[in-house]
Amino acid sequence: MKLLKPSWVSHNGKPIFSVDIHPDGTKFATGGQGEDSGKVMIWNMAPVLRDEDEKNENIPKMLCQMDNHLACVNCVRWSNNGLYLASGGDDKLVMVWKRAAFIGPSTVFGSSSKLANVEQWRCVTILRNHTGDVMDVAWSPHDVWLASCSVDNTIVIWNARKFPEMVTCLRGHTGLVKGLTWDPVGKYVASQADDHSLRVWRTMDWQMEANITKPFSECGGTTHVLRLSWSPDGQYLVSAHAMNNSGPTAQIVERGGWKTNMDFVGHRKAVTVVKFNPKIFKKKQKNGSAPKPGCPYCCCAVGSKDRSLSVWLTSLKRPLVVIHDLFDKSIMDISWTLTGLGMLVCSMDGTVAYLDFSLDELGDPLNEEEKNSIHQNIYGKSLAITSTEAQLSTTIIENPEMLKYQQERQSSAQLGPSSAGPEASAPKLNSVMNGESLEDIRKNLLKKQVETRTPDGRRRITPLCIAQLDTGDFSPALFNSAPILPSGSSMSNQLTSQLSSDSSPGPASSLGLRPGHDPMLTSPPAGAATKGPEDNKDGAKSGLLLTSASKIEPMKALDSRFTERSKATPGVTATISSIAGLVPLDRPKDGGGVSAPKDVKAKDDTSSDSEDKMASINKNLSFSKRKPELLMDGDGVVEKRKKGRPRKDKMAAPMAQPFMQMTPPAEREPSRVAAPPAALKLPTPSIKKAFSLQVSMEPSVFLEVENEVSLIAGSKLSQLRCSRDGRDWNTLLPSSVVTAAGSSDVLAVACQDRMLSVFSSCGRRLLPAIQLATPASALHCSAHFVMALTAGATLSVWDVHKQKALVKNESLLSILSGADTTVSQSLLTQQGVPVIGLSNGKCYCFSSSLETWTLIADKGDSMVQCADFRSCLPTHDAPVSSGPLAVMQGRNLNAGRLASRLSSTPHHLQQSMTLAFLENQLASALTLQSAQEYRYWLLIYARFLVNEGSEHRLRELCQELLGPVHKSAATAWEPTTLGLRKRELLREVLPVIVENLRFQRLFTEYQDQLELLRNK
Amino acid sequence: MAKVQVLNVAVLDNPSPFGNPFQFEITFECMEDLPEDLEWKIIYVGSAESEEYDQVLDSVLVGPVPAGRHMFVFQVSKLWYVWKSFSMPKKT
Repeated sequence: MKLLKPSWVSHNGKPIFSVDIHPDGTKFATGGQGEDSGKVMIWNMAPVLRDEDEKNENIPKMLCQMDNHLACVNCVRWSNNGLYLASGGDDKLVMVWKRAAFIGPSTVFGSSSKLANVEQWRCVTILRNHTGDVMDVAWSPHDVWLASCSVDNTIVIWNARKFPEMVTCLRGHTGLVKGLTWDPVGKYVASQADDHSLRVWRTMDWQMEANITKPFSECGGTTHVLRLSWSPDGQYLVSAHAMNNSGPTAQIVERGGWKTNMDFVGHRKAVTVVKFNPKIFKKKQKNGSAPKPGCPYCCCAVGSKDRSLSVWLTSLKRPLVVIHDLFDKSIMDISWTLTGLGMLVCSMDGTVAYLDFSLDELGDPLNEEEKNSIHQNIYGKSLAITSTEAQLSTTIIENPEMLKYQQERQSSAQLGPSSAGPEASAPKLNSVMNGESLEDIRKNLLKKQVETRTPDGRRRITPLCIAQLDTGDFSPALFNSAPILPSGSSMSNQLTSQLSSDSSPGPASSLGLRPGHDPMLTSPPAGAATKGPEDNKDGAKSGLLLTSASKIEPMKALDSRFTERSKATPGVTATISSIAGLVPLDRPKDGGGVSAPKDVKAKDDTSSDSEDKMASINKNLSFSKRKPELLMDGDGVVEKRKKGRPRKDKMAAPMAQPFMQMTPPAEREPSRVAAPPAALKLPTPSIKKAFSLQVSMEPSVFLEVENEVSLIAGSKLSQLRCSRDGRDWNTLLPSSVVTAAGSSDVLAVACQDRMLSVFSSCGRRLLPAIQLATPASALHCSAHFVMALTAGATLSVWDVHKQKALVKNESLLSILSGADTTVSQSLLTQQGVPVIGLSNGKCYCFSSSLETWTLIADKGDSMVQCADFRSCLPTHDAPVSSGPLAVMQGRNLNAGRLASRLSSTPHHLQQSMTLAFLENQLASALTLQSAQEYRYWLLIYARFLVNEGSEHRLRELCQELLGPVHKSAATAWEPTTLGLRKRELLREVLPVIVENLRFQRLFTEYQDQLELLRNK
Repeated sequence: MAKVQVLNVAVLDNPSPFGNPFQFEITFECMEDLPEDLEWKIIYVGSAESEEYDQVLDSVLVGPVPAGRHMFVFQVSKLWYVWKSFSMPKKT
């Protein structure tokens, strides 16, 4: 053991209350008393570790000094990921610091140029809740929470992913709380207070698990701090100051039953601080001797008011070492390096000591994997789920390819602004900005400075900007490799429920109800959602035809209000009404898709007519991309839907007419609610005098329908007019058109006489009229597919090119079980897969190969909510929000919403749920033939398997993607799936596998086979 | 948290002849873009006991201030202070 007291680590002789070594071991922080404030200082570790670095003038010793605390700093703690530093002080505040990556040089307040801060640490959050001095702070494993305790007798748990949000305040102590420690698996947090008690709190419900008082009953409140510690294996909790037979001890509390049978004895005065070594050790193997199955043990340092320090191994009865008279005053804090071999101790006398141990003294540290397996064995839950850097150092990389990937990863990680890489070993003293040092800036500042006079004669100085502020301080991505789904999901839940509980005159339905209401209203009413153009784009891109305001839709729209408010055009409004089923969904939508020249005429009429047209039933849907200018023209046309159809009515299903828009009728049309025979399951759209819709954007195709245009020989003819890129065609139909739909390839119209006509985009009739069994309820076109949903609840899909039926009169009866279940949404994917969304939140698609309905989404599925795959989301890609699966499941998938509470569900349970969810997604994407989504979920799934270490599944997945290497006639392996080449997918999956070194053999195996195949 | 944090105030040209102006180099950090100018004042604290004896030597507007770290030198003539302390009429 080596001992060093670096004299340069000092707060000018003022007491140092706390010390903490950065997880990467390159720097450490001290906290204590400053001149007339609290002081936090960050020091370089290299001069402590190496003699030559200490003497080297170019290597800075002090990296940063922060004087922001108003009073003495009692505790400094690095977050486990090393990005943040939390400090708590007598000013009742907890400050969270972050390295300002792009900020320029700075100096210490009040100093001239000499004491430049080498690193810039900025206070990103101040956490205020305590009413007394903050004595200790502690980050939970994985940095989910930050706990702080105070002399106000409380412990506050902060949400470390969303500062300054408070999770809870733990009350119960009746004295000053002076120490905190988290259970290494995150299940408990323990606190010790002056009220002669040590309490253990559960993180699941934040209730008290145990209150241990017996060993503390004789204690007097004489110590400044009571820093207790939990052993790295989680089995023991060691308290600070306890008494046994009127001698000061550090009490050992067993996790099982919180028994207090053992203690560390020997200190002459109260124990102030206990700190476990983060490593678990096992007996050092002597060369040549047979390996003995030694039990792993922990190492613990105990510091006391008697100024002495003792280091214990749990395998020995006596301390490993006791050091007296190291300091002049009480020991205040101890911090181990992550390697477990170094230790910093600080004292009230304002000095710091560094202890360097050797492996011979402590034993062989277990590597992360072994430590994890211990955790796994004891708790069924591993701490380090993802591969860690620590693992990297111990595993030998066997493959040059693997090495290449690893190096790429590391270099990209270091490029990132969040990297707290070990570059601090020799940072340059003179920070440079734009090739100009702070000195140069200062010299020329007065000359360069621009001074002007304001109109009222005052001097106005334009300051010189010396550094940009790095924004995004608390982007959760820093904590989590993936963006956390916005809380909008829950918020929108609230909002929608609020809306649905609205009584009818609420803003949602105001358009239809208030007779005097101006239908020209362009600005969204309160509570209405403003739909960003982005939304529409999404819909259009995916080429999906999407009908009706389903449960999903309002949510989407509301979310978009939060996320895209800034982008929203005032003209684009979507009024959300009650949620599925209360009343038929009104969704007065702007009708953007009116072809501009036509519209001018239309608009004039509308303004007078529309008020009378209250009764017309219509709904519209966001499908097409709508240009704002178009909207301005179109928003004169507001559709309304008649109120008050009884809920239980068989007709009540909120079924949509896609893409319809009222153009003003020449004569007033009486309100009409088509009342079909009672046997019909699904509502049909009413017949309107005329309507138009935009079929596609690229090329821009508009469709206009005018019913009963001309009377010839007693029969009324309807006109269908279509303009495509400025070229028009029109055709006449013998019966009134009920509904129409189109894609860039085909157009389909359903007429009152149950005839379905299909035209090419140029107006050529492609098929003879198809006779539907019952009137059409909804019609969709996508690519060259046409889908018809009839009022008799049957579904048909035709492939127009091949002139074949993909789905033939398939009944929805099997999925429409239950009295109130209705179809709330229907769509046809580009691949011709029909999807039906039901009002009970379930979503089915009809698989024509399996000839059956398959469930692809279920809102009520609790598994979805508990699945936590966020850590597996790709960081750079935006989530796929445009595929059919995403549309049906709602853009803000609730997945992971409940999962944020790390420890509330047992890990293995959550793991299985996530796995089940991801596999479900994968299968659904496959059934929907949505290639993009399949790829997206496949990569997430692979990453999850890699993170969780499920080798069997991973192997199976790879095997399936690779297929047989040697061709044989017997195999039924398809080289592609959904048009994606499986081996290409495997090539994408392999880099994911690299992320866990444990799978390097797997990686090598498949990499080699892929190479082999490529060379063939 | 406050939107503006003063990071440093350094007294330049110190010590200096009587005729030289005071020069304060001020470094501050702003958390977000400020729509309006910041006003800075140099106050001669005549007595620590009471604000009554405070004298504003000069005030200056500083802007525009985008988010980030900024520096400027606030310069005020000492003669200003002499004149003011004798309650001389204001001179432009």
